[in-house]
Amino acid sequence: MADAPMTTSPAPTNRPIWQRSVSRRAVLATGATGAAAAALAVLWKGNDLSQILNHVRDLTHGYQGALASERVRVAHLLRRAGFGATRAELDHYVSMGQSAATEALLNYSKTSNSALEGQLPTIDLAGPTQPAATAIQGWWLQRMVGTARPLEEKMTLFWHGLLTSGLDKAGAAQLFTQNQLYRSMALGNFDALLKAVSKDPAMMVYLDTETNRKGKPNENYARELMELFTTGIGHYTEDDVRESARSFTGWTLQGGKQLRYATASQFVPRLHDAGLKTFMGKTGSFTGDDIVEMLVPLRATAVRLSTKLFSYFAYPNPEPDVVNHLADTFQKSRYNVGAVVREIFTMDAFYSDKAYRALVKTPAELVAQTLKATGANARGYTAAAAAMAPMGQVLFYPPNVAGWPGGNSWINSSTLLTRINFANAAAQRAGATLSSQTLAQLSETLVDANVSPATKDGLQAFVTAHPDDQAGLLFMVLATPEFQLN
Amino acid sequence: MFSRRDFLKQGLLPVFAGSAVPSVFANGVAAAAADSPNATPSDRVLVLVQLAGGNDGLNTVIPFQDGAYHDARPTLRQDQGVLQLNAQLGLHPSLKGLKASWDAGQLAIVQGVGYPNPNLSHFASMSIWETASVQGGIGDGWLGRYLNYLDQVGETPNHALEGVSAGSLVPPELRSKTPVTALQSLKTFRLQPVNEHGTMVDVENPLMKFYGAFKNAGPAPFGALFDTTLQEALQASHALQATDASYQAKATYPANSPIASSLKLVAETIVSGLGVRVAHVTLGGFDNHSREKPVHDKLLLDLDQALAAFLQDLQGHGLSDRVLVMTWSEFGRRVKENGSAGTDHGTAAPMFLLGAPVKGGLYGQQPSLTDLDNGNLKFGTDFRTVYASVLQNYLKAPASELLGGNYELLPLLKA
Repeated sequence: MADAPMTTSPAPTNRPIWQRSVSRRAVLATGATGAAAAALAVLWKGNDLSQILNHVRDLTHGYQGALASERVRVAHLLRRAGFGATRAELDHYVSMGQSAATEALLNYSKTSNSALEGQLPTIDLAGPTQPAATAIQGWWLQRMVGTARPLEEKMTLFWHGLLTSGLDKAGAAQLFTQNQLYRSMALGNFDALLKAVSKDPAMMVYLDTETNRKGKPNENYARELMELFTTGIGHYTEDDVRESARSFTGWTLQGGKQLRYATASQFVPRLHDAGLKTFMGKTGSFTGDDIVEMLVPLRATAVRLSTKLFSYFAYPNPEPDVVNHLADTFQKSRYNVGAVVREIFTMDAFYSDKAYRALVKTPAELVAQTLKATGANARGYTAAAAAMAPMGQVLFYPPNVAGWPGGNSWINSSTLLTRINFANAAAQRAGATLSSQTLAQLSETLVDANVSPATKDGLQAFVTAHPDDQAGLLFMVLATPEFQLN
Repeated sequence: MFSRRDFLKQGLLPVFAGSAVPSVFANGVAAAAADSPNATPSDRVLVLVQLAGGNDGLNTVIPFQDGAYHDARPTLRQDQGVLQLNAQLGLHPSLKGLKASWDAGQLAIVQGVGYPNPNLSHFASMSIWETASVQGGIGDGWLGRYLNYLDQVGETPNHALEGVSAGSLVPPELRSKTPVTALQSLKTFRLQPVNEHGTMVDVENPLMKFYGAFKNAGPAPFGALFDTTLQEALQASHALQATDASYQAKATYPANSPIASSLKLVAETIVSGLGVRVAHVTLGGFDNHSREKPVHDKLLLDLDQALAAFLQDLQGHGLSDRVLVMTWSEFGRRVKENGSAGTDHGTAAPMFLLGAPVKGGLYGQQPSLTDLDNGNLKFGTDFRTVYASVLQNYLKAPASELLGGNYELLPLLKA
């Protein structure tokens, strides 16, 4: 359920919602109570608060106005467009100013990443065995922590969570290859990306297009392409699934390697069903590319992808006006993802009180930001990537084709203890190598120097009681509830 | 009756700095005893086994005498070793443990289970099963409503271990305002202290303060979510530390089997007397669109061996009468195999109910393999009929209220 659109505002303005600050209080005044009532109406038990909380945003949190400071806005941007920042990184982007920092993040191809590339371990795809899963997981986590192009990595993770494939079916070499594909097309054209993914070996194994043959259609990819990657459920029929599956026939894995090793694909005309298909009311001898070209322009696709992107970067359940504006942007730009992301990062809504700490740090974000604070060596990256499992996120191993459910589901009693214990272990491990930082410095870098009074007092009490325990202090900051949010 | 916050306050050492770990957990022991999860040892437990991805029902309970089965499954049919239940039906050859339960009268098979207007999306159909509503959606799970009912009638303390799931996520079936605990290991389920030059510094108290203050300062839903979750985690953690850690499995669980590990964890939780009423485990990998046979054979073997060990373990601890196992999957698969030696999404499929509380036998009708709906089986028994039977006859809960409708009760269970 989406929040109620803002049709009125306490401060009269002609600006559309996406250029207007959205305060929680204003939303409350203009219709969230209606949304709450509607949420109530669908509940099993009318007084079930837990359900309302999932769908009605808070309107009165204690950090109003936090984003008035440009330093906090830049820190917020770096958390969302990337994986947080070290103190030096934050200083660097703040010195550029918010506007130039945003441009630098978006136009990342101009930023050299050679320092990171020089440090990364080599992943050998040509060898006789698969790379180890732990090797590519550590490699990717190291990229997230060390990249000079944070948005490139953040978008790669977005595509991994949306256009999913996993090690439960595909091989590590294939997942690694797919990961490079997502990185190379991270902010590109969605039509081109979907055409490439349809022929990507990891995807072909994960959703079975590699077995999809003329006369023997396999519905797996065809269904998920519509249900999860483009329009969403409710915009196609079971017949569309079957006809789409026929259209995608003909692509196979290349070379004589075993199923899970092939990292290239090819089109074999004799395996393609060139007959007439009827898809969404149109008839033709369609190929898979034709199906993609019919799905991408649909409004449902634009709305769904826009909702996903905004929810990933700003806050969940965006207002219909916000979504429609982004969907318009997507369609007018001929399906350019970068145009939509640029729009999100320049919306007032992105810097509204409603957006501040509106997302739970995903395990990837939590671990990457923690490693930025503690430092890590090569072995540290693979260990930390493995430590994400009990938090509910294993890179290259989404729980199913729908990706990680995210949001509140990251937090339960087990994962919360795991997250806190991870911070403890990471700080302990860094121990003597930690640079000496005051509470004020740590607090500013990690939690915008903006925590509840009780937490502030508690942290100060820790410093007083344990003046020389740098690791303990870092842990205490990482364990705050404020740090759990992004 | 005091609140959980009071409980936690009393369960925690008041000192922040310098307190050593063992004494913290000693206090946890005392507090957990006050909560008395051990006070109701005769309570019945339902263990839900989710077969995620859509289990191929036709290759699980196999109509091996039906010519239409052989025609529809030229490469996937099971020709050899079917474990006969009667002249028409047999279990997949991997299911030897289930066959033994069948022979002992402790396996009920409900055939042709589904619901009207079947949805062939994994996620839409899962949601329908999880909420017991054909609308699906984000409402409370059907077992979450049961746990909530237990709280309302005051039958159980509102403690975080009455609903548990093995893994890192709380499954939607258990969703409600009643707390549920995702368990990955009983031993690691605790907040580690800070090691300061060899001295262990307790962090529970300061973190409780941080999170308690966050309840009001933080943005909802997170303010309340984080505070409540930490309280539940510490409460569960103290209860776990307080239990006699002497659990010894009275069966050999298969190694390198996630489903076996999950069921062993559930057994440990039940045996330890933590007051668990509903447990959930998941076995994934059933979405076999291609090369189904080796994968499905192995999955069913893993399932069967894990269940057999679990039942043996419970029996060894004298707990068989208290535990019912039920399997479910979001759908079965297409009758006719596809060209990839696999099967696409389908509809109706059988459910298993397993254990000493069960009245063994076949229930419902085996669906026709020729009278199909778009290539898919027509269901004969609504899944909510099975839920209702379990709620009413086993868990002794008001099924029609919890399911929002009246469903026929099947005589699946002993009184």
